[in-house]
Amino acid sequence: MDANEKKPNVPESPGRRNFLTGMIVFLGGAIGLVLGGSGLVYFLSPGWKGKKENWVEVGLDSDLPEGQPVKKEFVQRIKDGWATTESQGTVWLLKDKGQLTAYDPHCTHLGCPYRWDSDKNSFVCPCHGGTFDKTGKVLGGPPPHGLNHYQVKVVQGVINVLPEEA
Amino acid sequence: MKKILDWLDERTGWRKVKEVILDRHIPQGVNWWYTLGSITMFLFVVQVVTGILLAMHYSPSPDHAYDSVRYLGEEVPMGQWIRAIHKWGATGMVVAVTLHLLRVFFMGAYKYPREVTWLSGVALFCIVIGFGFTGYLLPWDQKAYWATTVGAHMTEQVPLIGPILAKIMKGSMDLGAITLSRFYAIHVLVFPAIAILLMGFHLFLVIWHGISAPPEKLNAQEAAAPDWKSRFKERYAQLKARGLSFFPYIIFKDIVAVTLVFLVLSLIAYLKPAELEDVANPTDSTYNPRPEWYFLSVFQLLKYFPGSLEAFAIVLLPLIAFGLLFGLPFLDRGPKRHPLQRPLWTGAGILAMIGLVVLTVLGAQSPLTNPMVKKDPLIVEGKKLFDSFHCLYCHSLKGQGGSVGPALDNVGMRRNREWLAAHFRDPKKMTPGTKMPNFKMMDSEVEALVAYMSSLGGGTFTAEAPRLFEDNCASCHKFQGVGEEIGPDLSHIGQGRDADFIAAYIKDPVQLNKDAAMQGFADQLTANQIQDLANYLYQQGK
Repeated sequence: MDANEKKPNVPESPGRRNFLTGMIVFLGGAIGLVLGGSGLVYFLSPGWKGKKENWVEVGLDSDLPEGQPVKKEFVQRIKDGWATTESQGTVWLLKDKGQLTAYDPHCTHLGCPYRWDSDKNSFVCPCHGGTFDKTGKVLGGPPPHGLNHYQVKVVQGVINVLPEEA
Repeated sequence: MKKILDWLDERTGWRKVKEVILDRHIPQGVNWWYTLGSITMFLFVVQVVTGILLAMHYSPSPDHAYDSVRYLGEEVPMGQWIRAIHKWGATGMVVAVTLHLLRVFFMGAYKYPREVTWLSGVALFCIVIGFGFTGYLLPWDQKAYWATTVGAHMTEQVPLIGPILAKIMKGSMDLGAITLSRFYAIHVLVFPAIAILLMGFHLFLVIWHGISAPPEKLNAQEAAAPDWKSRFKERYAQLKARGLSFFPYIIFKDIVAVTLVFLVLSLIAYLKPAELEDVANPTDSTYNPRPEWYFLSVFQLLKYFPGSLEAFAIVLLPLIAFGLLFGLPFLDRGPKRHPLQRPLWTGAGILAMIGLVVLTVLGAQSPLTNPMVKKDPLIVEGKKLFDSFHCLYCHSLKGQGGSVGPALDNVGMRRNREWLAAHFRDPKKMTPGTKMPNFKMMDSEVEALVAYMSSLGGGTFTAEAPRLFEDNCASCHKFQGVGEEIGPDLSHIGQGRDADFIAAYIKDPVQLNKDAAMQGFADQLTANQIQDLANYLYQQGK
């Protein structure tokens, strides 16, 4: 302390002042960059996180009738962050000339659940009267486009569906 | 540009604010010890930033808290790092705030006119401890659960109102869901709000009075002068006039110190990530609860008091300690500030420090009464799935559960992993006609459940195992009528210990039991032989 007292007051030289100011900005910036950078990576990481495909088995291929849409219900276990949830879902399946198609069970208009009307030979939406033929094409009503498809594959005779919009 | 600044100045008065905060002079002699307050504040900011980020991936319920912390560490980029910074930042804050307090204490800076600054500082110190205590529970692992259990029991010891206090603290009779969300709310809402208000007040006072100057020795005449308060102010004004401006000279020192602290913090966080033990298990009787290191002194102190005097140690001693801390500026008054001119208080402070350090070291060294056995996280995960699928509705384990499906007590011996995995994926395929539904488990779930099932029954042993026992163990231990009784009789070892524990013990007894006379067999036997032997002892000793 005494040594300080004898020291004359440090004159405020502009060079020293600028150097110190520069160091303050530099060190403060470096800390902010490391801390803020890792925080930003952490916060923004969902942006480039891909989704894991979650196929679900819905039934046996051999049970499907030819040319007739069939509704299948399934239970899917879904990983939701740290939690695992069980969600119920449905899918419309159509086997037509050996070709298997899976339809998203929501009308493309406003997402209502449509049903198959075998008398009219078309899918009918109860909300605003949208209709689709069995290949998913719009026959009438407000839907903007045909039915959405799910990816579908047959593994050892079992139908697997990927219930999300392709 | 100048126009904009003028416009702003007229509306915000920023030039005056800058003058008061940045251009103010700091008394001559202010040294590196004075950076401790800034370090504490910096660490608080780090805690706020990392805390907000952690909260984005945290779920304060016993069902999800542990899983969410694990998810954060394993699957979120930078998650492990940010959690480690938060954990070690908390430790850093306790250290920094304590050193800051000691600096002020030994320099007598709490004296006139800074008594209220000191009071707000001690209150902040309490908040930091409170942050530590409430934050500790949040990961909901064994350490978290048991440390808080001990804390709750200590609260219960308070005479008369103890049981009610403990219930208020837990929010319920038992430590559980309500306790967790209560601690969470206090940790992230209540304490930060109080801390920020108090810090604002504390800093305002620091600027209002100016940073205290280093203490100077007074001669007899100065010490006895009745007008010492005005003399002190005069001297302070002198030192201040000779000092440098806060910006950039003092801030430079602060930022250099803060950078060093941040480097050390980052290094520690990188080398020693925050760990996550097994999920909290209230029924576990093999766990060794240990508090965080800054509570170790209290933990150790409690060992010296018999049950009847425990209330004294838990209530009275802390009350006296904090009473002294808060009362300090009113007990130690007068013009003398230099530590050597306050021998009573300086001595008391040094004694208290030595006491705390010794107690902490002793507490850290106190032996663990229960041996620590690392559990396979996959098996723990499988056990949880086993519960969440309600397997016990149909199957039984240790005599509990349904009788629709087969008992699973030794399923690990009957079925291999491949069979179990195929069975979980499609029960009807492996066992035609079974009533077991297909749970549509995900691959990770199948893996965990297989691990758990395989662990049941402790695994198989070979025909070589009894011979291994005779060759290596029988000279000291008795088992199934074979061997000497120099060491403990192992005939019923399987009732108290599982195969993993036995294997770990054979490998290195001292690690599990400091006083073990037995030598380790890691060199004599292969890992497979040890496992074989352990399975044999476990299976046949049940």
